[in-house]
Amino acid sequence: MDFTNLASQLNAGVILPESTVVITLLVVLVSDLLYGRASARWTPYFAIAGLLVAFGLLCLQWDQPNTLAFLGSFNADNLSIVFRSIIALSSAVTILMSVRYVDQAGSAIGEFMSILLSATVGGMFLSGAEELVMIFVSLETLSIASYLMTGYMKRDPRSNEAALKYLLIGASSSAIFLYGLSLLYGLSGGKTHLADIALALGNGTENTLALVIALVFVIAGVSFKIAAVPFHQWTPDVYEGSPTPVVAFLSVGSKAAGFALAIRLLTDAFPALIEQWHFIFTALAILSMILGNVVAIAQTSMKRMLAYSSIAQAGFVMIGMVVGTEAGYASMVFYLMIYLFMNLGAFACIILFALRTGTDQISDYAGLYHKDPFLTLALSICLLSLGGIPPLAGFFGKLYLFWAAWQAGAYGLVLLGLITSVVSIYYYIRVVKMMVVKEPQEMSEVIKNYPVISWQPFGMRPLQVGVFLTLISTSLAGILSNPLFTLVNHSVADVPMLQGHPLVARNAAEKARSPLAVVGFPINAQDKS
Amino acid sequence: MPLEFFLVLAAALFCIGIYGLVTSRNAVRVLMSIELLLNAVNLNMIAFSNYLDRQAINGQVFSIFVITVAAAEAAVGLAIILSIYRNRDTVDMEQFNLLKW
Amino acid sequence: MNLAEGVQFVSFIILAVLVIGAALGVVLFDKIVYSAFLLGGVFISIAGIYLLQNADFVAAAQILVYVGAINVLILFAIMLVNKKENYAPIPRRWIRKGSAAAVSIGLFVLLSIMLTRTHWSVDLSVASPALPIETIGEHLFSDYLLPFELASVLLLMALIGAVVLARREEIEGETTAIVGELPAPALELPERPREPVA
Repeated sequence: MDFTNLASQLNAGVILPESTVVITLLVVLVSDLLYGRASARWTPYFAIAGLLVAFGLLCLQWDQPNTLAFLGSFNADNLSIVFRSIIALSSAVTILMSVRYVDQAGSAIGEFMSILLSATVGGMFLSGAEELVMIFVSLETLSIASYLMTGYMKRDPRSNEAALKYLLIGASSSAIFLYGLSLLYGLSGGKTHLADIALALGNGTENTLALVIALVFVIAGVSFKIAAVPFHQWTPDVYEGSPTPVVAFLSVGSKAAGFALAIRLLTDAFPALIEQWHFIFTALAILSMILGNVVAIAQTSMKRMLAYSSIAQAGFVMIGMVVGTEAGYASMVFYLMIYLFMNLGAFACIILFALRTGTDQISDYAGLYHKDPFLTLALSICLLSLGGIPPLAGFFGKLYLFWAAWQAGAYGLVLLGLITSVVSIYYYIRVVKMMVVKEPQEMSEVIKNYPVISWQPFGMRPLQVGVFLTLISTSLAGILSNPLFTLVNHSVADVPMLQGHPLVARNAAEKARSPLAVVGFPINAQDKS
Repeated sequence: MPLEFFLVLAAALFCIGIYGLVTSRNAVRVLMSIELLLNAVNLNMIAFSNYLDRQAINGQVFSIFVITVAAAEAAVGLAIILSIYRNRDTVDMEQFNLLKW
Repeated sequence: MNLAEGVQFVSFIILAVLVIGAALGVVLFDKIVYSAFLLGGVFISIAGIYLLQNADFVAAAQILVYVGAINVLILFAIMLVNKKENYAPIPRRWIRKGSAAAVSIGLFVLLSIMLTRTHWSVDLSVASPALPIETIGEHLFSDYLLPFELASVLLLMALIGAVVLARREEIEGETTAIVGELPAPALELPERPREPVA
């Protein structure tokens, strides 16, 4: 057994960003243990710094030649770098928002952040996982951390209930997902790497029934993570019952990880069943767009409205996936980047409002403009961007998405997307109108008693920074969308699986993995031959 | 003995787990049903590893990871059940209806 | 472990009957304690099936983790939440039970047809490793190194999280709330609950 050879095959450098996050997690945990509440003054900033360092390391790894690591368990290609950056950034912004929120709830931020950071690690690894065991373990790290964060306000029955529902539905969906993976393992004759599985499945002409059942089970697990209708039932309840910063992370970071998993798993392992999974995802996209947007109109709670809006947004993103062209994937990743800023911005605003007033009813926002113009402006811009009003970032995101779908000939989907976008503009504008148009005498009780605006209390500054950052990004990302779009195009361009030529891609994948065969373990040598 | 015996046994266990998942009123029993589902998956894995992948036994390694994760999931699940029991004084799934659409 | 074919078959049948019977008991018994003990039975019988398939290490892990840890944990949880509870009867609950049973049986039929129709590339020519634990160890430190390390993060986080959620909190008074004069209720969402939907 050749140790030096093995070490070089591990190519461990590519997981440096994740290692940074893990080290940050440990430092936060240990300092919380040693210094207790006193450490809460600096650990949030340390955690954010750690996440930013991880983001910097990810940028440095852009376009590196050798992306496969850990004998093929992990692939650090440019696509995974984009997704890992989205997750790391969403986690950093979430920490900015949660300092005040967790402190006001009388809870320790240290433990909260260590759970959030481990969710981040899980999501980041999931974005690059190329192998069934790795996919499963990273998916579960993300999920279990999410259950824990959901139940973090443990004195509140709503939080308890949300956590219990999320755990039970999540654990059963991951068990179903796992059953699908075990069928894949059997059908491929004992392979666990995605490329090997695709190779062993051939063109899918034999064992079609088993393949389709495996596909359906796998998609059930994935759609749970991205909250696509009809696997969305948990979303509104969990969003309403969870601490709001957690909701922000779930709707952005966790969802991005789910999409990364969907792209990699389906394009890598199921090239043989491409029509079937495109069909299933088309149905999911249509249902999500319609149901998400229509039910959102009827909501009275801001968090629930954003829950349904996030279901609908997932439907839009899925359009990019089902058209299956390079432009489709690129626009999908681009939309997720834009969505990161605007959705986190909206959540930062409603956290600020909830902390000052203790409510998230939409009717309580009436007349906010007279008391807090800055918050009104920030929330309006984020909501309008989510609705897709030009010249904000969300408009360009949708534009690219629909344009890519139109080019690929998915006219029906584009039309449906446009119609449901108009519906969504209605309920976003309703909130904006509620805040801006009302006369002073029409103000809600809550707004009449609105506290004096002060950024002094502990933890308000980070929240202010969070609102500012997301606001600026949402306004500017639209105008400066060209470099971002070039970036995602580039990231999609070097993933062979997304080019629509499964055979070429498979050969390329084989070639890329061939050095691994020389590792010298009898098991591996046998495996590859 | 053919491979299908083990697979069908696993499928039966899986379906019993699904039934328990849907019909149980006690939250702890729902957790037990999830454990049944995971055990069905493990049975599949071990059977495949013994019949198709005899030398590399990837399936056995996979099932060890599943067992690990199942333990973590059970601990977290029971912690959540304990905290909800403190607040609501019940573990009846039908009573958990504060959040309704 | 190579038993004669007949012995293997008989032990499989016995274990399979045990697994199915105990699993049915888990979901059907009214008393949750019975279910918990029968769950232990399911786990042990499955460990026996693993032994039949040359997976001695996994069988040991199954007994140690599932029976030794998870099952005991579940029993403890049952003891902690063991208030005598008479569930309020829900009208037409049998319809839900019946449809659930129909769906499960349908799923089982579908899965069985799929499993028996599929051509599995069974390959019994290779000898299985004499000591599976050696192969497993090699796997854990070569191609499954990354998930192995990630599992440590997962377990650490589950440990912290379970403690955070399950401990009884001595709340330090937090008086820094912005809302009104009263301190915000500890460990609750700051948003007030919605009016219950009529």
